[in-house]
Amino acid sequence: MSVMQYLADGFSVALQWQNILFAFVGVVIGTAVGVLPGIGPMSGVALLLPVTASMTGGLPPEQAAASSLILLAGVYYGAMYGGSTTSILINTPGESSSVVTTLDGYQMAKKGKAGSALAISAIGSFVAGVVALIGLVFLAGPLSEAAIKFGPAEYFSLMILGLCAVSGLGGKSMTKALIMTVLGLLLATIGIDTVSGVSRFTYDIPELYQGLEFLTIAVGLFALGEVFKTIIEKDDQPDEIIKVGRVLPTKEDLKQSAGPIARGSILGFFIGVLPGAGATLASFFSYILEKKISKNPEKFGTGAIEGVAAPESANNGASGGAMIPLLTLGIPGSGTTAILMGALMMYNVQPGPLLFSDHPQIAWGLIASMFIGNLMLLILNMPLVKVFAKIIETPSKYLLPMIIAISIFGVYAVQINTFDLILLTCCGVAGYFFVKNDFPLAPLVLGLILGPMIENNMRRALTTSNGDFMIFLQKPLSLIFLIIALLWLVIPILMKKRGKKVVINVEG
Amino acid sequence: MNKTFDRYASVFFALVGAFFVNGSRQIATSAYGSEVGPNIFPLFLGIILILLSIRLFYETFSYKQTQQEKTAVNIKGFVIMLVATFLYAILLEPIGYVISTFLFLTLGFKVMGNKSWWKTLLIALAFSVIVYVVYVKILEGTLPGLPSWLG
Repeated sequence: MSVMQYLADGFSVALQWQNILFAFVGVVIGTAVGVLPGIGPMSGVALLLPVTASMTGGLPPEQAAASSLILLAGVYYGAMYGGSTTSILINTPGESSSVVTTLDGYQMAKKGKAGSALAISAIGSFVAGVVALIGLVFLAGPLSEAAIKFGPAEYFSLMILGLCAVSGLGGKSMTKALIMTVLGLLLATIGIDTVSGVSRFTYDIPELYQGLEFLTIAVGLFALGEVFKTIIEKDDQPDEIIKVGRVLPTKEDLKQSAGPIARGSILGFFIGVLPGAGATLASFFSYILEKKISKNPEKFGTGAIEGVAAPESANNGASGGAMIPLLTLGIPGSGTTAILMGALMMYNVQPGPLLFSDHPQIAWGLIASMFIGNLMLLILNMPLVKVFAKIIETPSKYLLPMIIAISIFGVYAVQINTFDLILLTCCGVAGYFFVKNDFPLAPLVLGLILGPMIENNMRRALTTSNGDFMIFLQKPLSLIFLIIALLWLVIPILMKKRGKKVVINVEG
Repeated sequence: MNKTFDRYASVFFALVGAFFVNGSRQIATSAYGSEVGPNIFPLFLGIILILLSIRLFYETFSYKQTQQEKTAVNIKGFVIMLVATFLYAILLEPIGYVISTFLFLTLGFKVMGNKSWWKTLLIALAFSVIVYVVYVKILEGTLPGLPSWLG
């Protein structure tokens, strides 16, 4: 079958009424999550992961996987869009990839052009979503065909590359990021070893035999951790919210932002494909690019519409691009895609090269639904921008206890035991202290999810080589991956030594 | 950068690493048909974790002394919410979903500074009952119901 035929099948999955509903719910919740300053895309997706799992419980497994992934991906790119609303209206980014948007967005709002800034970021997000979709359609097939030829040694090295990339860009201190990666890998070894059947680090505690549940740890670290942080630091309510005013952009606005949107979308997409470099980096780079090629760079920072259009397109392009390594190689490049991968694995669907041949309706259904979701975002957000702006005013006194209650409900609904609830609370406390002291969480989650796969591939590779570790260096492709992985760690150190500022990816 | 926390953290992570190294020495060293047993991977990782912790400890000496950020800290609220969350987790099964959620939310809303009693009680009750009814009655999921001694 040709790519177009697969895509048509994908649309037939995405256009089933329940999947349209799931995409709709996803983008609405996602936009709300992006708008609420307390929760970012990662905690939003983590929080909804168990909830969707219980919502789709009645469907056959493959459909359930497709539906819940459609919803979670909707939350992901909905949050990317929603984050811009707070950046523009109250100068507070809802999530880190919208930090750059505050520079010009808030200035535009002050000049009474909040409406057109919001509209341009909606249009930019939509265009970027479509660009990412086209990229996915053309790259997914060839990439997964190439990846299918990988042996265990190549896979092992590729996953090491993914981990190194995320750790290298993961936070203020690379040592801390690496510690978190190794900690995640170690936590993943708890439980019964799938190869030999030996139980490891379980100490006869029955709950530990199946291993620590990914979902519990992700919800605890991200959702509860952020709630605890907000409680302790007592985020003050925003003082004043700028009125939105006229929503439709003028022809002049559209003309000025067409170029930045196109460049931002394409740049964002390719940055998103790289593991470790996520939406935050994409928005920074596209802003810098626009400033460099602009005829009058001095107007950036004073309310230039290009300064809103480019980063907002780039962060949405990147969130689409990040789906490529996840779907084709089975390697998530960021914290949020790691959680999406966790969702797939909960349904016994292994992302990777076989996903497109074994479960075409999940892979292509997701791709098609991203198009529909982006269209919904555009249609929803133009008229509803004022409603979403109201969400900012949700009092945290109701929101925070409810997020805790939803976390507890979600984890209990899937796990049905008290042990996981206690683990959840402990992870929440740990998540708060980690983030407060610059220990990034994304590498931990990534290590936790990739741990078993790395270990199995390592052992399979070593079995074929009779225990000789040189096999990872003898296979040319594997050697190349390992060299790139090493470079990814060494280059930032060298750049820091030379006194250059290294842009880091906060969201992960 | 918080020097004190990072030093404690490096000691803690080194202990975690040592724990895994020690634990993996007690696992069988080889599996049938395979050269590499289930102990190798955690053993290596444990050693790497210890090395990274030493590196972090070493790095703390070059930290510049930074001013502690002065943010309004609400330690009391945090401790109450944390204890409440633990109690909620432990009591969920014995006293059932509706009662435990209602109690937790009422306390939570109050601690977070909600003045009005009837709004607090109403929202807490509505949330716990709606979630329970929708999830258990309509979606046929599993949540602990009312405790048996209530009939």
